[in-house]
Amino acid sequence: MRILQDFARSLRQLPRVSMVAVGVFVTLGVLAPYIAPHDPNAQDLLAAHAGISWEHWLGADHLGRDTLSRLIVSARTSLVGMCLVLLIALSVGITIGTIAGYKRGWVEEVLMRIVDVGLAMPSLIVALAVIGIFGTGYWNMIFALALAWWPGSARISRAVAVGVMNRPHIETLRVLGASPLRVYFHHLLPTTIGAVLVYATADAGAVALSIATLSFLGLGIQPPTPEWGQMLVDALPYLETVPMQVILPGLVLTAVVIGFNLLGESIALNRVPTPLSRRILASRRMLASNWTRAQQ
Amino acid sequence: MPEAQPLLRVENLVTRFKSVERSKWISAVDDVSITLAPGEMVGLVGESGCGKSTLGRTIVGLERPQSGRILLDGVDLSTLRGAELRRRRRAIQYVFQDPYASLNDRQTIGEAIAEALIIMGISDPAEQRRRIRTLLDQVGLPDALAERYPRELSGGQRQRVAIARSLAVEPRVLICDEPVSALDLSIRAQVMNLFLRLHKDLGVACLFIAHDLALVRQATSRTYVMYLGKIIEEATSAELYARPSHPYSKALLGSIPSADPRIEVTREPPEIFGDIPSPTNPPSGCRFRTRCPHAAEVCASAVPPLVALSPSHQAGCVLAEKFYAESAAQPLPHPAPAPRDIQTMHAR
Repeated sequence: MRILQDFARSLRQLPRVSMVAVGVFVTLGVLAPYIAPHDPNAQDLLAAHAGISWEHWLGADHLGRDTLSRLIVSARTSLVGMCLVLLIALSVGITIGTIAGYKRGWVEEVLMRIVDVGLAMPSLIVALAVIGIFGTGYWNMIFALALAWWPGSARISRAVAVGVMNRPHIETLRVLGASPLRVYFHHLLPTTIGAVLVYATADAGAVALSIATLSFLGLGIQPPTPEWGQMLVDALPYLETVPMQVILPGLVLTAVVIGFNLLGESIALNRVPTPLSRRILASRRMLASNWTRAQQ
Repeated sequence: MPEAQPLLRVENLVTRFKSVERSKWISAVDDVSITLAPGEMVGLVGESGCGKSTLGRTIVGLERPQSGRILLDGVDLSTLRGAELRRRRRAIQYVFQDPYASLNDRQTIGEAIAEALIIMGISDPAEQRRRIRTLLDQVGLPDALAERYPRELSGGQRQRVAIARSLAVEPRVLICDEPVSALDLSIRAQVMNLFLRLHKDLGVACLFIAHDLALVRQATSRTYVMYLGKIIEEATSAELYARPSHPYSKALLGSIPSADPRIEVTREPPEIFGDIPSPTNPPSGCRFRTRCPHAAEVCASAVPPLVALSPSHQAGCVLAEKFYAESAAQPLPHPAPAPRDIQTMHAR
């Protein structure tokens, strides 16, 4: 419960723009089937390439499917995929990272060298290789992306875990005779998860982009499931006649990625103490010099 | 009172750390033997970096000793493993110097103490609440504090909470690592008096690590002096302060400023020069010889053994007997201890 509270508190200090972008994305993703005006897969060939109208607010694609509905339902596809990838990647990463941070010594060396190997390979190439071996499919894509993403979260959680383990209250617990399991599950893990979850927001945008990229290449989400990368591919042959159908999914995807990136960046910056402005520094020095004068 | 079966006995303990230089070691604790009788309050003094804290941390198992034995009730702790070791070792508790960091800031005071009780094996919530109330009362804190988070407490209150939590596991030895040096003077006296009262009421033995010599003299019955990882003198506190027989102890005690300005003006600065040598490369023979005003050639050849000067007084110096005899002839350099109330010390 306290993890959620901390999470909510840190969310409050974040930039408005990114909160709106991410908020809209998540809301649409959760409520997609209830707010989409049309069935995203219903074809109406008479309305193919339709422009903006009361019937189709954002027009329709080459098969006459309503673009707005497809955009909205795509948000759900992306959101679910993103959550699954992050869930798997973070579970593995946090487990590996906290074990390394808890045990230290050669265990840490071995685990972190494996992580280094994972980090050395570009994530998309890892994902492409895995899909190349196991074939295309929804779950193959999820696992491929999770495999590409876990080393990053392992690295972060190890750093957080080492910091937590070095705090004196962990030493106090050991002196009290707390079992290793108690220290790990009651103190190390909750603190680490809280910190790493916050950092994970920065990754979310990149995961969404990767899902779209794989789908664009025909390796991720398969038709007829609506997905932004797919919509781009479908509309690409008609770029010169109906450019809006290409631009719209691109814009939405860009907004989501920028939203998550801004969010992640500001979270990372929030963790660094901001330097004092020159004016405040001067006034503090003035105050301190008055103290010494008063003492003499 | 070393004749009774000691509660805690440390034999030839060595703790080393890897140096930043390759294949070099720092012996923070080098061949140290100490004993602690049940209910005894013992001081451990020495300057910064001499290994006092490392000795304490090794005893509670926060550092791994290179060699030597730690015996609790005659049982060698290094022969035990896992849950049995944790259960035994719980009898030795450690009070940290920094009360701000030794509590988890996500736990309320009650939760922190309850956790110690759960570790003890008390899982009944009603029993836990009862014990928490008793423990907080023992350290002089109101019951209502159990709902508070550590950040809402002052330094003195936090240190009391830390002590209450240590007491929750019913320890028989408390190792107090400069428990009051992070606190204000006024609060220091309160916390010190708390220690003295707990020591008297609960009969907990205390190893009191400090650099505040006046505090150690008033609180403890016996004192060890440590220099560069070695115990160089051991005596009852009264005798150590009256008749220090190692040049380092003499210098250390000579550096206590007197509260009386008339005496303070005439006080001679101790005959000691330079800084503490690097423990990576300690001097041969007597470790103090590089700074000792009485150093002779013989000091460089071998580590001087602890010489028994009286049944309760040992010093590791070749000239110890001479210093001991000299100090008997002189008037006492320090007046006899004040009554056992620390408050008076700071009121002066």
